Order: sequence, then C-alpha cells, then structure tokens
Amino acid sequence: MSAREPLRLTVSGPEDLVVELDPAALAGAAHREPEVRAAHPTPRERAEGRRRYEVTVDGWVLVVDAEPAARAALRERASRGAAASGPTGRAVLKAQIPGRVVRLWVEAGEVVEAGQRLLAIEAMKMENEIRAPRAGTIGTISAVIGRPVELGDELLVIE
Amino acid sequence: MSGSDRRTGRPFERVLIANRGEIAIRVIRACRELGIETVAVYSDPDAASRHVRLADHAVRIGPAPATESYLRADRIVEAALATGAQAVHPGYGFLSEQAAFATAVEAAGIAFIGPSPLTLGSLGDKLSARRSANAQGVPIVPGTFEPLPTDDAGRMDEIVREAERIGYPLLVKASAGGGGRGMRRVDDPADLPVAVATAAREAVQAFGDGSVYLEHYVEGGRHIEVQLLGEEGGRIVALGERDCSTQRRHQKLVEEAPAPGLTRDQRRRVHELAVQVARTVGLRNAATAEFLFSRSGEFYFLEVNARLQVEHGVTELVADLDLVHEQLWLAAGHPLSDRALAAAAAAADPVRHAFELRISAEDPSRSFAPMPGLLTRWREPSGPGVRMDSGVEEGWRVSGDYDPLLAKLLVVAADRPAAIARALRALDELETGGVQTTIPFHRWLLTLPAFIDADLRTDLIDRAWDPAPLREAAARRAAEIVARAAGPDAAPAQLPAAPPATRPGGEGSAGWVRPGSPDWAHAGRREATERWP
Repeated sequence: MSAREPLRLTVSGPEDLVVELDPAALAGAAHREPEVRAAHPTPRERAEGRRRYEVTVDGWVLVVDAEPAARAALRERASRGAAASGPTGRAVLKAQIPGRVVRLWVEAGEVVEAGQRLLAIEAMKMENEIRAPRAGTIGTISAVIGRPVELGDELLVIE
Repeated sequence: MSGSDRRTGRPFERVLIANRGEIAIRVIRACRELGIETVAVYSDPDAASRHVRLADHAVRIGPAPATESYLRADRIVEAALATGAQAVHPGYGFLSEQAAFATAVEAAGIAFIGPSPLTLGSLGDKLSARRSANAQGVPIVPGTFEPLPTDDAGRMDEIVREAERIGYPLLVKASAGGGGRGMRRVDDPADLPVAVATAAREAVQAFGDGSVYLEHYVEGGRHIEVQLLGEEGGRIVALGERDCSTQRRHQKLVEEAPAPGLTRDQRRRVHELAVQVARTVGLRNAATAEFLFSRSGEFYFLEVNARLQVEHGVTELVADLDLVHEQLWLAAGHPLSDRALAAAAAAADPVRHAFELRISAEDPSRSFAPMPGLLTRWREPSGPGVRMDSGVEEGWRVSGDYDPLLAKLLVVAADRPAAIARALRALDELETGGVQTTIPFHRWLLTLPAFIDADLRTDLIDRAWDPAPLREAAARRAAEIVARAAGPDAAPAQLPAAPPATRPGGEGSAGWVRPGSPDWAHAGRREATERWP
C-alpha cells in the first residue's frame, strides 16, 4: 500500500476496533515500542491492498488488518449495495476458541433470547458455554456434536 | 534405608518422569543436581519438546490425546522397566494421584515418588477425605458426605432437597477432582440440575469418575493451603502456607507465600490442622492440605492434594528449600533433612515473600478461554529474585490436547511490596507473541488496590476483572504502532518480503491437492494459521 495515505486499521477481538489513522500525522515512535510482525499476505489480501500485522501491547496479542482508508470506503459501499439484509439481519456466530463441540442446546427454528445457552465447546478439558449475543431465531446450525472446530469456524446463525 | 549418604551419594541412579512441560523440566533439574539420570516420556507432538531434550533418555508412549499417552499407566511402567529406572516421579495432574498407577509402579519393583497407594486411594476421593477430617474434629465446609445419585434422573428431587438443606450459593464438586475441573458454582436453584450434570460429565472426562457432591460456597473466603512433607511411617512437618485465592473458574492464577495478613497464631493453627489431617491418612513424601479461610477468621479443611503442587515454588523460595530434592531423598527411604526440619520450625515466622504468576495460553478477555497456537515470540525474564519454570520456547506449538499452562513466573523479595514491584518488572521483560496469554491479567492484578492491600478473596476476579477497557486501550495503541510501521517511515521494502507461494498440504505433502477435497480445506486452514514468519 502507498505509504502516505490514511489507513483503516481493524484490530480483531471479542469486539473489533476499527480506526482510521493518517500515518503522516502520527508522532514518532516511542523508544520502547513493541515489535510489529507482518503476516505473509494471502493472494486476496495482495489483490485488495490489505496487510495483516501482529503486535503485542501490554501482553495483549493483537492482530491488526491495515488497508488504505479510501479503498476500504469504496469496498464498503459496494458490499452495502449487494447485501439485502440490514443491521437487523443475520448474526453469524463463530468459534472464538478452537476445540470440540460437545453440547448443542438449541435446534434450527428455535426462538432464543439474548444470553441463552446455545452450545458448548470443549477445549483443553474444559466445557465452554456459548450464549446467544442477541435474541432471534436459530437458522442454520453448522456445529455438529463431537466434531472439532477451529478458531473462526461458523457455529450457527441467528436470524 | 536404601540409597547412600546425603552428602556423597544420590537417592537413585535413574528416575523416570511421568509428565510433560514445565513440571517435567522442574523434576529433571532436581535430578541432575543430585546426579540422577533422567528418563522422559512423551506423546507424538511432544517429541521435540524441551522436557524430552533435557532428559538423558526418552521413551515415546503414544499419540497426542492424554488418554493414549500420559494417562497410559501400563506404557509408563513398561518404559520405566525397559530403561531400568528405579523410581517414577509423577509430577502433578495426569496419573500423579491415581492409586492404581502408584500400585502398578510399586508392583513392578519401582519406587513411586509420592504418598503410598493406600494414602492416594483414601485422599483421591475427596469425600472420604472430608469424612476422615470430620471424624478427627477438623472443621470442614458444610455439604454432603456421599456422592450424589446423578445417574438416576428420578432422584433429582433428593439432590434439590439436599441443596436446600446446605443452602445456596453452592459448589458442585467432583470427588475425584482437581484443578477446578468438574466444579460448578450454583446461585440459583433452577441451575442446579444442569450444573450437576455438567460437573459429572467433566469429571468423567477428566478423571474417569463422575461422582460429585455438594458443598456450601463460603462467600468472600480465601484459599489457603499448607505444604507438607512426611517420612515413611514417621514425622510429618508443615513448611508454611500459601495463599491461592486469585482464581478463575476455580483454577488458580496467582499464588503467594506466606499468606499475607495472618497472625502468627493463625499460621500455627492452620499448619497444625494440616499436619493433623495428614496423620490420619498416614502421609509420606509431599502433599498439600487446602483450607478455606473465612472472612470471620475460621479455617475449614477442603482437601489434600497428594502430590507436588503447581505452586510449590513459592514455598521453596520462602523456605529456601528444594522440595523435589526432599521428595527424592524421602522416596529413597531417608528421613526428613535437617534443612527441612529447620524450615518447618521457622514456618510461622517467614522472612521473605514470593509470588507465582501462571502464564497460561488463555485469553483473559474471553473468560480465560484456552488459546492453542504457535508461540512466535517468547523471551523470558531474569535478574535478581526471578525464577522462570517454563516448558515452552519460541517456535513451540501450544497443543489443545493438554493444560494451557506455559510457564510459571516466580519472584521472591524481602517483603510483599518489593515482591510485587519485582513481579511487575519481570512481566515487563517477558515478551510473547502469537498466542494470547494471561499476562495482561497479571499486569492488572499487580496494580489493583485491593490486591496491593492484600484484600484477597476467591471471588475477586469475578467481581473486579473487566478486560474490555484494558484491551481496547491496548488495541488503540496497536493500531497506532502498526500505522507508523506501515506509514511514511516504513517503506514496503522494510517489511518482510512475501514468501514463495504456499505449498498446499504443508510439509510432507506429496504434491498438489485438488480444490474441494478435504485435504484442500485443511491446506487452506494451514495457510491461514501458519502465515506468520
């Protein structure tokens, strides 16, 4: 990406942090700055001018995606036109930990409340309960009892 | 008495360590210092691990799942026989407290470094430990004395009535349990059936025994435990206590010795209670008696862990004693050392303070969910008063098959404030990458006023830990740091160059794989997770 344009930075986490920063406007690096590591870009990232970085700040291991802000805005407009559903649409629940699905408390078509227990993933011998982030109706369930899931795998959809 | 003189000889010629990670290394170190040859055992993913490299000999015992490797008593005994080991050290977890394992080891003519199989049998069942403590007049937390009838759905009413009698909040605990597994807190009677079922299921998975019982939850209590050492059929001494109140999901995160704020009389009292409990079960070698310390100043016996504890190091640092050395000599039939007896005599008057911070592969912003992955950066702290008991290194892949504990950062100083300052300094030196660890939690805890004031309680984390603002502040800084690195001062040429196209299938792949095949999906996943230089 060009060095002087404003960047859109997405720090992933339980809730993503999205900020736009102009590198030219930033103060110089502090003396004790953590090391930034760049991931090898995927072909798609290369095509879209995005790069992924990792940096550890105060013990938090943070993955930061960077792309030119102008290009991000353009891409957003395009996808907004294509997507039929608005903000009240689907919520796709993804695995926040790698592990194995051991419990499934809901079925497709079931109406759930926010905070309701949906499924459990066993990782490192502990059962971790996944609860509904909001109210809705259970759509597709991709999680299968006994099957392993990786970080970011789709578990189920709340319509 | 076997073995030879302490000053000139060694307790054993060769010892097998039936464990992995940091505790295997801890035991290997003690053996080396005593001139004992070591035999490591390992599962496939651990073949290149530090504990295997540090040992004199190593034996493969199976594939990744613990049930097919580190929990295979038969293979471990076989390995000990094949390598001519005279003793087996079980570490903690895995088979360490299984009477059947200790029995099998001893039946093979090999010394088991730990309490006798008989003691393990009576202590492994927490309920029987509760019963015998109660019979001795040692105070225990109100609760049940028999396992709950969990396999009979029709008897749930009985469980509910029993719960009412004891009073909420309650803890459902596995009688074979340890490490917080098979334990659930219940505040609302409506949650009891699910909690009982989950705890029983976890207990079956973790310990092969689904027996659970109920115990009243003592609000705001502290977890205080006493380190014990015992001679074969002889004296039992207490080497001081530890406070392990800082827990999440009933698993300890931070331990310290001594327990701050206790009077000399309170220290003596809990040491005496611990020795009393240990005597009833005929304890030999090392064990720990755990107590709940209520806000009104009462001690309630919880359980005895008949093994070396994860947090034994803080006692070592305060008592100036090597507990694994002691274990090895005791297992060889020697009496308690003069050094151990002196440490026991001084146990109520500690002159140092030590902390242990558990550095685990867990995300403190996601309820401490375990986070396996590739450790791309790992630089350990050092310097005065710092001890790092670690089982990992840079480039190590943290497996989802085992406990997420990576390392224990221990510090010792003249008093508690100095030890806190030292711990913070050491945390600053500890550099990590690739895998989220508990470090941010420790940084927060060590600056928390309640912790600095030693106002400790087991529910502290549940009440006070709010990671979102801390993580967000770090995320904002991360965005700036990255913008700067990708900005005007960092031309793209300074960033690592793209590697050659990723080979699908990864290492060992015979060639290209067809898109759409399961291998292809796997290759994509590998590419997604192993793209960090």
